[in-house]
Amino acid sequence: MPKDKLKIGIYELTGCAGDALLIVDCEEELVNIFTAASIEAFLMAKSDNRHGELDVALVEGSVSTEKEKEELLDIRKRARVVVAIGGCACVGGPQAAFLDKKEWEKNLKKVYGNIEFSHSRPLQSKPIDAYIKVDCYLPGCPIGKAQFLSTFARMVNGNPPELFRFPVCVECKWHENDCLLNKDILCLGPLTLAGCGSVCPNFNVPCFGCWGPTEEANRTSEYYLLREKGFDTEVIKNRMANYSGTRITEFFEQFRKEKR
Amino acid sequence: MKTISIDHLPRVEGNGGVFATIDGHVITEVKLVINEGPRLIERLTVGKTPEEDVSIAPRICAICSVSHKNAALRAMENALGVKVQPKITLLRELAHMGEFIESHSLHVYYLALPDYVGFPNAIAMASKFPFEVKIALEMKQFGNAIMKNLNGRMIHGENMVIGGFGSFPTREDLVWIKNRAIQFMPFVFRTVELFCGLDYPTVPESDTLYACCEPGNGQYGFWGEEIILSTGEKVARDDYKSLTNEFLVSHSYCKRSHYKGNPYSVGALARVNVLGERLQGESAKMYKKYFSPRWKKNPLFHNAAQALEILYCFEKVPELVDEILAIPENPPVVPYTTKTGKGTGLVEAPRGLLIHHYEVKDGLVSDVDIITPTAQNAEDIERYCYLAAQKLLDEGKEDAIRDRMDLVVRAFDPCISCSVHMAEVKRAPSDDWKKKLAELQPAGPAFIGIGKEGRSDDRAGLDLAAGMKEAGMENVYLETEIEEDHSLEGLAGRPLIFLDIVNMGEPAGKIAMLPLQHVFWNAVLSHRLLPAVSNRLTYDQIKNAYILGIQPESIEEGGRLSNSVRAAVEKILEEITN
Repeated sequence: MPKDKLKIGIYELTGCAGDALLIVDCEEELVNIFTAASIEAFLMAKSDNRHGELDVALVEGSVSTEKEKEELLDIRKRARVVVAIGGCACVGGPQAAFLDKKEWEKNLKKVYGNIEFSHSRPLQSKPIDAYIKVDCYLPGCPIGKAQFLSTFARMVNGNPPELFRFPVCVECKWHENDCLLNKDILCLGPLTLAGCGSVCPNFNVPCFGCWGPTEEANRTSEYYLLREKGFDTEVIKNRMANYSGTRITEFFEQFRKEKR
Repeated sequence: MKTISIDHLPRVEGNGGVFATIDGHVITEVKLVINEGPRLIERLTVGKTPEEDVSIAPRICAICSVSHKNAALRAMENALGVKVQPKITLLRELAHMGEFIESHSLHVYYLALPDYVGFPNAIAMASKFPFEVKIALEMKQFGNAIMKNLNGRMIHGENMVIGGFGSFPTREDLVWIKNRAIQFMPFVFRTVELFCGLDYPTVPESDTLYACCEPGNGQYGFWGEEIILSTGEKVARDDYKSLTNEFLVSHSYCKRSHYKGNPYSVGALARVNVLGERLQGESAKMYKKYFSPRWKKNPLFHNAAQALEILYCFEKVPELVDEILAIPENPPVVPYTTKTGKGTGLVEAPRGLLIHHYEVKDGLVSDVDIITPTAQNAEDIERYCYLAAQKLLDEGKEDAIRDRMDLVVRAFDPCISCSVHMAEVKRAPSDDWKKKLAELQPAGPAFIGIGKEGRSDDRAGLDLAAGMKEAGMENVYLETEIEEDHSLEGLAGRPLIFLDIVNMGEPAGKIAMLPLQHVFWNAVLSHRLLPAVSNRLTYDQIKNAYILGIQPESIEEGGRLSNSVRAAVEKILEEITN
């Protein structure tokens, strides 16, 4: 245990605040979290926040306004290590599913009309690594308690975090669930990062992909598998895109080329 | 610990604040600003399947995710003509109770209480109230456990699906929930006594309108097919827009609501005010013991109402479990074949009325409208903050304004971290009126000069109007002209700027641009006309009306315009006519 406590800041950009809430929901561990490290800033949980140098900044949410972009750049300057927490910070979240800028502008207009906002200019939602270097990604929608606590504990003790890199299917097999794809149900388990404990398939509900994509996923194969099972092209693509944010862009582009 | 909270679609939560501006002895502006960026969730779900929608839409808000899920399911099932079995409804209601227990106990103990017992946060408060802090945490944990058990996760669970449940809780799980709820009862009573018995300040107090779901059958409850107002009026589910009338303000990505031109409140206090007489059992006894007419006009009683609802939930949970256990069969998910339709779902989220509306076409979502509680409360939050700030300023307690506004905002339990350090008070710079004037110019304001000749500085408003007319400006009137033809309707849509002297308690000649609705209640005016004029204005016009005021030196009969006021008149004319 290092002599000086790690200085940690927890920040929220645009999102549902679920990741910060999950940290608050670590009811039994909360006091330990606050004593093991020096929590410099955590808007949701405390009022005496400081804005100095940090060892670790945990950032939730996507960048969706000019002001948030500035805030993020400032956090990066102050923090030795930046960790993206949750789907919105890691991949942009559902709000980043408008991949095309024009489409986003059109929809912004549909919701807000032509009003000029006086407080902060809106930006198309992007993950935080669109603007700054990110040292570690903690996925989830919201992040998982077990993975958060183990990551937190490792960081406090000066070790790099160890995250799952395999898909939900692995956890699903650990739980000995019947494969939903075998029952012709549209399940995104093979494409989605593990860490949730395959909670949805455990409840007999298909994976919606809310933890975001795994790096090694074979999307093309899943796409054709689902096509064979009779699912509509658009439905498959939407399902893949819902929680993948900007990470899916490359795949779709490549996919378009291959199809030609 | 302090905050938490949630809601709204095109986003609310995270960071925001209330900003009050003081000019002399009046508050000239109160703004609830939400900085969170737009997420466009209403558009994101368009083109998706109904299943995807009920997965994505609840992502609006983590702490109300079960409320959003239930609202989305109810709306979607209405759209698709899906009828679920009673057991499904009961299980969903049980999950809803879990969210209320979690959210309310977090708010009253961890967010609100520290203010009333003089601690900066709940962790500091633990030194004096170790028992309360500990058991409240267990209560919150229990709420989370119910949600995890029924919906798969504490936050954003997916087990509640269109037509039913992915899988069902075991008998043991349900019995555990029931027993655990019963064990909490002594602490729940203590909670009600604590929060209903707190000494809530009398500032601000003002009547407002309350709205919530009408649960039907004379019951208290958290959802229904109609909306009921404190006036007794009812709004049918599909006519919800006639209640909410959403509109935008430029200082927030959070939309606002007005009913018949007036702000209204939703939330625990709205429910208790409208439905309180229907409470039963121990909740009814506590309601009778503590309810008073002050609850109807003081937003700080939101905390008391939430405590009362915690009791309601703890009484309801064992009842629900018994009803669920009485139905042994687990109904399979109801399939649907309908591809086109529209439907609305009404529920009460912990912080108030939540509405989801969907249209489905050829199996895909084609239109979405979601109205969150904080969006509906935003106008009243600003209004009560204004009332509190002005009252305290009048009493010479400027230093207390920030904390009191904090208290008001927090009582509404809005989305946010903003409740922690929301409030900010700033002094208007001396030439602030020029900036305001410039802001209003593009909308083509009408100027109305008010005053009386032969009464010293009282003629300043008339002189100003005359000067403007001389300079060839249009839409300039004298009070006599307005009085004669009663033609204020013709000015609809234009900002109205009354030119007058106003006693602001400032040095003579001081100029200020004051919102009319604020001045009404405060500055001492020297005229009989303004109230008469104001009675002929609609609420929309009043909100868009201002007084360009000058501090007079004297209004003695027979006196002449003083030099300081004359200088101010010339200064204004120069600014306007350029």
